[in-house]
Amino acid sequence: MTIFLQILPFLIDGLVTTLLVSGSVVLIAILLGIPAGCTLVFGPIWLRIPIRLYADFVRGVPILVLLYFVYYGLPAIKVNLTSMTAAIVALTAFKTAQIIEITRGAFQSIPIGQTDAAKSIGLGLIDRFIQVLAPQAIRRFLPPFVNSVVDTVKGSSLVSLLGIVDLMLSLQQVIGRTHVALPLYTIGALMYFAINFPLSVLSRRLEKRFI
Amino acid sequence: MNDIPLEPVISMAGVTKSFGSNQVLKGIDLAVTKGQVVAIIGPSGSGKTTLLRCINFLEEYDGGSIKIDGIEVGYKDAVGERRRRSDRDLARVRSDAAMVFQQFNLFPHLTATQNVMLGLVKARGKSKTEARQIAHRWLARVGLSDKFEALPSQLSGGQQQRVGIARAVAMEPKVLLLDEITSSLDPELVGEVLAVVKELAVEGRTMILVTHEMAFAKEVADRVVFTDQGHVVIDASPATIFNEQPNDRLQVFLSRVRSFGH
Repeated sequence: MTIFLQILPFLIDGLVTTLLVSGSVVLIAILLGIPAGCTLVFGPIWLRIPIRLYADFVRGVPILVLLYFVYYGLPAIKVNLTSMTAAIVALTAFKTAQIIEITRGAFQSIPIGQTDAAKSIGLGLIDRFIQVLAPQAIRRFLPPFVNSVVDTVKGSSLVSLLGIVDLMLSLQQVIGRTHVALPLYTIGALMYFAINFPLSVLSRRLEKRFI
Repeated sequence: MNDIPLEPVISMAGVTKSFGSNQVLKGIDLAVTKGQVVAIIGPSGSGKTTLLRCINFLEEYDGGSIKIDGIEVGYKDAVGERRRRSDRDLARVRSDAAMVFQQFNLFPHLTATQNVMLGLVKARGKSKTEARQIAHRWLARVGLSDKFEALPSQLSGGQQQRVGIARAVAMEPKVLLLDEITSSLDPELVGEVLAVVKELAVEGRTMILVTHEMAFAKEVADRVVFTDQGHVVIDASPATIFNEQPNDRLQVFLSRVRSFGH
């Protein structure tokens, strides 16, 4: 029992790193992905094409390849990033592509009749967006978005491969020293679960409420 | 008020429209004067709905002219050249030709009252207080006094369509466009919607309706326009259309419609 109390602060440090990485990735990806996704739906063709290519390409590449590309590949062109920055850049690149897709889907699944109706009562482009389309898009956006956040938290365990001491790596280090594998992996799994389960519940709630 | 309107509210001349290589409207001429109710009938694919959607530019017409109160709907002349109106410009023209849709197209995130208020506030620039009063008045008129705060999902099809009518007519449009507004309703709900339309007709509102309800067209319309294959085949009084049937294609169409028991 004492051993668990000794290692707990260490694991919590790892957990904090995991949350920090996931949190910044999600935040930056929202800031980039939602405007890009809206542009993909409403923007001019010369902006839509590069966004489309980016989203398709990045989503077709394993996250691990992205991570290694940014951390080990970019120094070849004199872009040297710390492991933490590289991890956030790579994961954000991936998450942004996902959020672009979720945003696009949220708008495009709104029946065209909504736009027709908004036009026929004299709403201009901006009012159609703010009053009619965006409120409906948000409802369609939230459930897949929350699932995507869960994926981010789980997927962030890959950053341990760049030597970042997140929850995953802190577990491995503790196990390396104590040789107590099963209970510690169980604790680690429970910690991931403790973050993600409420999110899953939230996602299900949102689906029930809005769909 | 003038007894003789100088110009029709709606005037269409030589309107053409193609979807790809398929020409749906092949030169439509149609004029509707103030207070007239015009029913457009015809086989499916004859371009009725497209015609209606061109009037408020939900479909862009390729050639010809459509004017509401003398103002060209979708385009303006710029040095003899036809240029599409800006979105803001279009919005203003469109609000003069509010439409009621087959699929209702109510805004699902807004209550019945908010659905009616939206255009009044955003397009007509009315205060929320005034818009709410107008919305309540119209919802009451269509028999929904107890549904002010209901969301569309809490309403029956007939109730939803009555909100749709209130939303359109509250804009006080110069013409009301009704696009097969009873086609997606259960038969027992059709009556309540048509009753509302009939009241609006009696009150002297200018309306163009595309409909499959022949009995209704006969009862409520001042004029019936039969379209087929992108042309206006005949434009006459309901009595002429339904009793005399002065055209072969019209006869075939009416006999088909009747055989389905409407």
